[in-house]
Amino acid sequence: MDSNTIRYLQESVARLPVGDLAPVNEFYRRLFELAPEAQPMFKTEMDLQAKKFSDMLAWVIEHLERPHELCQELRALGARHTGYGVKIDQYAPVGSALIWMFRRTLGDRFTPEMEEAWLEFYAFASFELERGSREAAA
Amino acid sequence: MSVNTAIVNQHLDEALSSPLFRKADRQARFLRYVVDAALQSPETTIKEFDIAVAVYDRRADYDPRTDPIVRVEAARLRARLREYYELTPPESVRIDIPKGQYVPRFVPVGHGHAPAVSDLSILVPPFRSLSPDPDDQNFCDGVTEEVVHKLAQDHRIRVITQSAAAWLEQREKPKPRYVLEASIRRVGAEIRLTLHLMELTGGGSTRLSNIYQATTNNIFATQERLAEEIRRDLSAALHTDNAGSECIH
Repeated sequence: MDSNTIRYLQESVARLPVGDLAPVNEFYRRLFELAPEAQPMFKTEMDLQAKKFSDMLAWVIEHLERPHELCQELRALGARHTGYGVKIDQYAPVGSALIWMFRRTLGDRFTPEMEEAWLEFYAFASFELERGSREAAA
Repeated sequence: MSVNTAIVNQHLDEALSSPLFRKADRQARFLRYVVDAALQSPETTIKEFDIAVAVYDRRADYDPRTDPIVRVEAARLRARLREYYELTPPESVRIDIPKGQYVPRFVPVGHGHAPAVSDLSILVPPFRSLSPDPDDQNFCDGVTEEVVHKLAQDHRIRVITQSAAAWLEQREKPKPRYVLEASIRRVGAEIRLTLHLMELTGGGSTRLSNIYQATTNNIFATQERLAEEIRRDLSAALHTDNAGSECIH
């Protein structure tokens, strides 16, 4: 990931409304529309789940320039996903819902460059989750 | 050059039976769909909509603006292919899906062919200013950015910036084959940029060593002109100017 990609990721998150969980709630609503089979995997109450997701997003943005910690955390999360029964194909609607959340919340302020940055980051992150899951299953 | 369908199909079967693809059912279907379409009709265009319907079971009212699942999966598929080729270097052909399109390219590899993309990996650390003026380092950073931008337009070259190098380190990827280093000296409005392209494998030989001169009269235009000259010289040194003719569709 080059410095431009990191900058676009940071800028897009900085444009989300501060302290407002509405975009994340919309993300989950969209995810469950796209992949209804994913809903039973979320056992936590949804407001708490939205807060966890929002905190994780902030943590990721803070750690983009600390790849070692970021990779470790993503792999650990991937290992936990093994227990939830997540399959590789299920990462696709999550990525779609994530991009959709930014587009819906930011409108034209979510630029094509920002979308490209999120596509690249999500490809990387989902691969690390998958790697963590594989290592846990081995 | 006409594509050898049997070789591509055999390579595709091998890739799809590898552990990286075995459990990634949709991405395997995505790859097979675009490869089949390209083999059947070399001039084909493949739309996001076509893949959504054929691979992701979307209906005829599918709207890619509200459901970018194909773009998400294309990025993930490119990453999976990169990983696959790093674990299993291809012997006859490799499948690339260039950014911004879904029609794959079948690139021959092996003796007498253009080098695989991963063979043309170049680490580009920030160019250094040898003067104490902090503005000169800003100028250097601008030239570095322009060079990275121009090299990245060539899909055959894998450009690795300093921050990307840290990422690759974590992911235990092969080291880059080349490193591009440059320093800049300034006297008044005159600038002299000294550049070295070194091969990190096979004894660390210097592949290119050049000096470029410019003035600081129009900073952006100067940065762009220097970057373009560097790109052109690198392409010549790495013999990539004509390598595109080796690609087959």
